[in-house]
Amino acid sequence: MKGGLVATVILREWRTRVLKRSFIIGTLLMPFLSVGFVAGVVLFSEGSDPSHTVLVEDAPGLITRLDAASGQYVPRCPGCFPGRPNLQYRFVREAPSDSAWQADGYTVLVEYDEAVLQNKSGYLVYETSPGMMAKRDIERDLSRAMEHARVLSSTDLNWEAYQRLKLELRLVDREVSEAGRTEGGGEEIRGGIGFLFSAILFLVLTVYGGLIMRSVVEEKSNRVIEVLIAAVKPEALLLGKVLGTGAVALTQLVAWSVLSMLAFSTFQLFFDSGVMSAGGAMGMGADVPADLLTVMGENEFTAILLDIDWGWMIASTIGFFIGGYLLYGSLFAAVGASVNSEQEGQGMVVPIIMPLMFAYIVGSGALANPEMSAFTALSWFPLTSPVMMLVRVAVGVPLWEVIGSGLVLLVTARGVLWVAGRAYRHGVLHTGGKTGWKLLAQWIRGHGG
Amino acid sequence: MTHALDIAKLEKAYGPQRVLKGVSFSVRPGSIMGLLGPNGAGKSTLIRSVMGIVEPDAGTIRLNGEAWSREGVRGIGYLPEERGLYKDMKVGEQAVYFARLKGMDKANAIRALKAWFERLEVDGWWDRKVTDISKGMAQKIQFICTVVHKPSLLILDEPLSGFDPINARRIIDAVRDLAADGTSILLSTHDMPSVERLCDEVVLLNGGEVVLSGQADVLREEGWSGEQEVVFRGNDLAFTNALGALAHLDGIAPDIADGVRRAHLRLRDAAHPGAVLQALSQSVEVLEFLKVRPTMESLFIEAVNATQTEVA
Repeated sequence: MKGGLVATVILREWRTRVLKRSFIIGTLLMPFLSVGFVAGVVLFSEGSDPSHTVLVEDAPGLITRLDAASGQYVPRCPGCFPGRPNLQYRFVREAPSDSAWQADGYTVLVEYDEAVLQNKSGYLVYETSPGMMAKRDIERDLSRAMEHARVLSSTDLNWEAYQRLKLELRLVDREVSEAGRTEGGGEEIRGGIGFLFSAILFLVLTVYGGLIMRSVVEEKSNRVIEVLIAAVKPEALLLGKVLGTGAVALTQLVAWSVLSMLAFSTFQLFFDSGVMSAGGAMGMGADVPADLLTVMGENEFTAILLDIDWGWMIASTIGFFIGGYLLYGSLFAAVGASVNSEQEGQGMVVPIIMPLMFAYIVGSGALANPEMSAFTALSWFPLTSPVMMLVRVAVGVPLWEVIGSGLVLLVTARGVLWVAGRAYRHGVLHTGGKTGWKLLAQWIRGHGG
Repeated sequence: MTHALDIAKLEKAYGPQRVLKGVSFSVRPGSIMGLLGPNGAGKSTLIRSVMGIVEPDAGTIRLNGEAWSREGVRGIGYLPEERGLYKDMKVGEQAVYFARLKGMDKANAIRALKAWFERLEVDGWWDRKVTDISKGMAQKIQFICTVVHKPSLLILDEPLSGFDPINARRIIDAVRDLAADGTSILLSTHDMPSVERLCDEVVLLNGGEVVLSGQADVLREEGWSGEQEVVFRGNDLAFTNALGALAHLDGIAPDIADGVRRAHLRLRDAAHPGAVLQALSQSVEVLEFLKVRPTMESLFIEAVNATQTEVA
C-alpha cells in the first residue's frame, strides 16, 4: 500500500508537469533546434566557402615564369597549387589598379615584394573577406611555392630530392593495458564530449532540483501539505516528489533523444537524397560529397559528434543522473521544506550547488590531464562525481571505477534522502518565523515542531 | 464500549514548553465531540498527534480500540484549519488524487465524489481550475475530499470558517448525517453556536490540560446558576414583592409589548423554581417562565478564567 501511495504521488507530480503547455513546447522544440544547429553547421560549412579567383602579383618573379606558348605567367611549381574547388589562381608581374582587377572578375589580390623571403609577409587585398578557410589555403599554397623557390635558389637539391629528405614526424597514440597495446589518443576531443555531457547533467540537476524545491514551497504556501502528510508519511511523500520530478526529467531526456534521432534521420534522408544539398543548390555537382556522414566527418565540429560512443555515454549519463538527482533532489527538497518562500530557498541552495559547480568548472581542466589524482578523487566524491566522472568516462576509465563511483553515489544518495526526510518531516509544517541552516540542523537531529 | 478515539495521558513538549500535559478523553462511536480551548491550548498539537504528524512524548492513542498505527490513521478524515488546494490542477482531478491517497480506487473515488459534488452543489466545477472558483466553493471541495472515503473518525478543525450561513447550514447538515450514519466526529472550533448546534460532548483544553469535559447538555445543566427569565403582565412593584426572599431580581426590561415586561432573576434555592412560579402567579400574570442555562461560550470563558485564576 505504501508503494501504491508513493506511485500516486509520483503520477501526480509527473502528470501536472508533463501535461503543461510549456513542457510540451520545450520538449518538442529542443531536438529540432539542436538538429537544426547541426544542420546549419553542415550546410554552412559546405556552402560557406564560395569560389575565389585569386590574382597573385609575383613582382619579384619568385614563384612564376613566363610560359612562352600561352604568354601567361605560370607557377614554377605546378604541384604547389593543387586543384582546389574554391580557388582559382592567375599570376602577373604587375597588378592593375584595384578597380581594374575587380572589374576583371578577381575577388582577391595577393601582393609581396623581394623581401618576402626574409620577412615572410605579404598582403591579401579584397573588397569582401574570402573567409578564414580560403585565406588559410592561399597562405598554404603560396608558402609551398616560395619554399620551392628558396630550395632551388639556396641549395643544390632539386625539389623532388628535398621533398624526399623533408620529414614531419607524427606520433600515433598507443595505450598499454592488461589487454596489451590498444589505440589511444584523442583525449581532448573525447574529454570535450564528456564535458558536454557533464554540462547537460549539471544543467538538468540544478533545473529539476530547483523544480522540487519550488514544488515543496508551493505545497507549504497553498496549505495542501497538512492534508497530504495526514495521508502519506512525510518520507514517502518526499520520495514520491523526488521520483515524480525525476521521471519528468527522464521523460524530457528520452523525448529529446528520440525526437533528435528522428529529426536527424529526417535531415539525413533529405540531405542524402540531394534535396537539401547545398552543393547541388550551388551547382557544384560532383565536387561536393552528397553523403551527410561524409560531410560531417570533414567538419571539425560535426566530426566530434560522429566520434561519440553514444550508447556508453548515454548509459553513464542516465546512471549518474539517477544517483546525482536523488542526492541533490533530496537536498533541494529539504531546503524547500525549511523556507517560507522561493526567494529564501534560492539563497540557501547556493552552498548546496557549490560542489557541483566546482566540479563543472574544474571539469574543463580535466580535459588536459584527466588522470590527475585530484580529478580522480573528485570523480569518486559523491557531491562532484555526477559531473566529474562523465568527463573521465568519455576519456576512458576502468569499468570498476565507474561502477564503484556510481555505488558510492547511490549509497550516499540513500543516506541523504533519509536525512532530508527528517528535515522535511519537521520543516513542511513550519510556516512563518525564522528559517535557516541552524533550524534545518535541529530538524535533522529530530528536534522542533 | 470500543471508542472511535481513545486518548490517555498524552504528553508533548517543544523544548522547555509543555504543550500537552497528560490529556485524556474518548470519542464515542457516532458522537460529535467538540474540542474547545483558547489559542495555544494545545488543540492543534493534539490533533496532529492523532494524525501522526507530531510524535507525542508520552501517553497512548487508540483508534477504534486498536493501538495507533499509520494504517489506522488512513481511516480518519482530516480537515485541518490551514488547508488549501493545488492551484495548477483541475478540481475533479485533485479530488480524485486526495481520495486515492486515502486508499480508494479511481472508479469508486469518481463515483463517490460525483455524489458529494451534487449534494453540495459544486458539480458544475469538476473540470475547472481552482483559480477559477470562489473561496467558499474551495472550502466545500476540501470538505468533500475529507469525507469522501467514508472515514470512521472525522477530525474537523474550524470546518465552518469562510462559509456564508446557507452553505454553513449545508455543511452542518452533512456533518449531522455522517454522525447519524455512525461516523464519530471530533470538531475543533471557536464558533460556540456551532458547538451548541452540533456537539453531543465537549472537551475543553487550557494550557495543555483538560479543564472541562462531558456531555454538552449535562455541562450546561450543571452550569445553571438558577437564572430564570419571566415574561409577565402586571405591576413591577407587585412582581418584586412577590419574589421576596425566594429569588434575587437582576432586572426588568422595558415593555416588550403593551403592558408585557421581561424580568431576569436568580433563584436563591435552585431546587425549587416551582415555589417562585407559584408566588409570582399570585401577584402578576405570568406569560413565560423559562430556565436560562449557560451558553457554551459562557461555560468556556468561566472555565478558562477559573484555570487562570488557579495558576495565578
